[in-house]
Amino acid sequence: MSFIKLDNITKEYETAHALRGADLEVDRGEWVSIVGPSGSGKTTLLNILGCLDSPTSGSILIDNTDINMLSEDALAIFRREIIGFIFQQSHLIPYLTAVENVMLAQYFHSLSDEKEAIEALKRVGLGHRLDHRPSQLSGGEQQRVCIARALINSPKLLLADEPTGNLDRENTKIILELLKKLHSEEHFTIIVVTHDSFVSRWAQRVLTMEDGRITKDEFLY
Amino acid sequence: MFIRLLKRSFYNQKKAMALMVVSVTMGTAITASLITLSFEITGKVAKELRAFGANILVEPNVKGLASLSGQQRYLREEDIIKTKTIFWRHNILGVAPFLETKSVIEVKDKNTKIDTIGTWFEKELPLPGEARSFPAGVKTVSLWWDIDGEWPKKNEEVLVGVTAAKLMGISPGAALRINGKDFRASGILNTGGKEDRQIFLNLETLQEMASLKGKISKVLVSALTTPMDDFAYKDPKTMTKTEYEKWYCTGYVTSIAKQVEEVFLGSSVKPIWQVAETEGKVLDRLRSTIYILSILTLFATALGVSTTMISSLLRRIEEIGLMKAIGADSLKISTIFLSEAFVIGISGGLLGYLISIAVVKFIGLKVFGTVLEQKALLLPIAIFSALIIAVIGSLLPIKRALKIKPAIVLKGVE
Repeated sequence: MSFIKLDNITKEYETAHALRGADLEVDRGEWVSIVGPSGSGKTTLLNILGCLDSPTSGSILIDNTDINMLSEDALAIFRREIIGFIFQQSHLIPYLTAVENVMLAQYFHSLSDEKEAIEALKRVGLGHRLDHRPSQLSGGEQQRVCIARALINSPKLLLADEPTGNLDRENTKIILELLKKLHSEEHFTIIVVTHDSFVSRWAQRVLTMEDGRITKDEFLY
Repeated sequence: MFIRLLKRSFYNQKKAMALMVVSVTMGTAITASLITLSFEITGKVAKELRAFGANILVEPNVKGLASLSGQQRYLREEDIIKTKTIFWRHNILGVAPFLETKSVIEVKDKNTKIDTIGTWFEKELPLPGEARSFPAGVKTVSLWWDIDGEWPKKNEEVLVGVTAAKLMGISPGAALRINGKDFRASGILNTGGKEDRQIFLNLETLQEMASLKGKISKVLVSALTTPMDDFAYKDPKTMTKTEYEKWYCTGYVTSIAKQVEEVFLGSSVKPIWQVAETEGKVLDRLRSTIYILSILTLFATALGVSTTMISSLLRRIEEIGLMKAIGADSLKISTIFLSEAFVIGISGGLLGYLISIAVVKFIGLKVFGTVLEQKALLLPIAIFSALIIAVIGSLLPIKRALKIKPAIVLKGVE
């Protein structure tokens, strides 16, 4: 059975149709890229997959859970148990250090464990930047903190929205290699929204979106 | 992690946090000062209101045949000092006896029959079993008496009411004869009441002249009282034992009157209602005003906290959205805001109480000319009310925070 199953998902706003009947099935452990022009509905789809937004119609099953049936608080619990996020602008709490940003995700999940948070930062190559604030880190380093935070609670699904959108090619490669390594070690499902064909090619499967629909589904290997 | 988050969050928003602590501090300081003043002011203002005059009248109890025959009854002068032995003796601020007779006044060979009142103008009464004495006399119960001339100092000096003085052509220092005895008018009395038609002289002198030694017609008592409430108007005869004890041990004008009656042989003691009720109303209104001001101050403080917290929230929308996105539920978000409110409340309450100590002292010295002490009991009350205010002030921001959509942290809708 598919880990993610979207059936005829639509999302309407007052002035626009962001999704016009998206169907999608993703297996456990798959790495999927979603590409498409601006306004094609990529981020809306990712928001719905991340339980950050609800569809106007259609059903969503993630890890055998019907997301439409969950309350706001149940969605928060589901997010912290199942999903990890990596955002384009890393979205770290500016007044917390790198290690505290990771510990915050632990605290919302259950209990914070500083040693474990430090270990997670070491895994992403930031053992020497533990007590630095986001403003003291480079863009690539901030994204690596974001990856450590996203993975600290061992999520089954990692959602990344333009994870390298603000990085140069060298840092982009570092981040993608890191994600690849962690993906191969922990076997989580990963869905990456990107404009960048260099980034999308790291996935096993590339979905192309146009005008609120998935128009192409391509398996790379 | 939670404590770290709280510490860092406080430090990060130090200006907003300081503003909220200052709001709560000021609100608590004003409220704690007002509450203390409401306790102290009642006593102080009640004392000032004693200038209205006596509020208790002691008269002989005339019952049965005596009332039918119109026979004159008297009280015993020796019972006056017993008013300082009752349960509420410390609240008795003034007492003055009066003996009323009619006398023939002779001025420049012209005779007029006028009400003549014997009283104590000013007298120190030795307190039973104590080294101290108690100042009694007209001066202690009729503070508003206006004298043209001087108060009588000798036994042969009298005060003549202004109407009587005009009738008989008496001016300050003039000589007059009362029942054939020589006197001098030391002053002319102007009260605007029936006293203007009377002549006042030393009680003992009149008792001798009228052969009524040790006898008096009435006594006016000035007592510091607790404002009357519904319970105070209840008939003591219909009260249960517990109610009666509570009534008896509260300084209502009625319960003090009852206690005065118990020590005055053959007396009937009644409150002078127009004075007692006016005082009660003034004090009640004063207290109500203070309480309303306190509530308004606390409300304004809560509003201040709420406004500052909301403006701080607007700067933290993304941060709260992020927290929600990475798994913070309503409870965790509310806990963060409530904990901030808790710290603001505790520190504002403590600081507010400390400031109120100085405020109360300042007001005491400036307004009442005496040092007022802030009550230690108010410390927990101040902290508790500051906490409640800070929490109430944070409710609206929490409600708004819970409505923030986590999707806001992503780059938006494509």
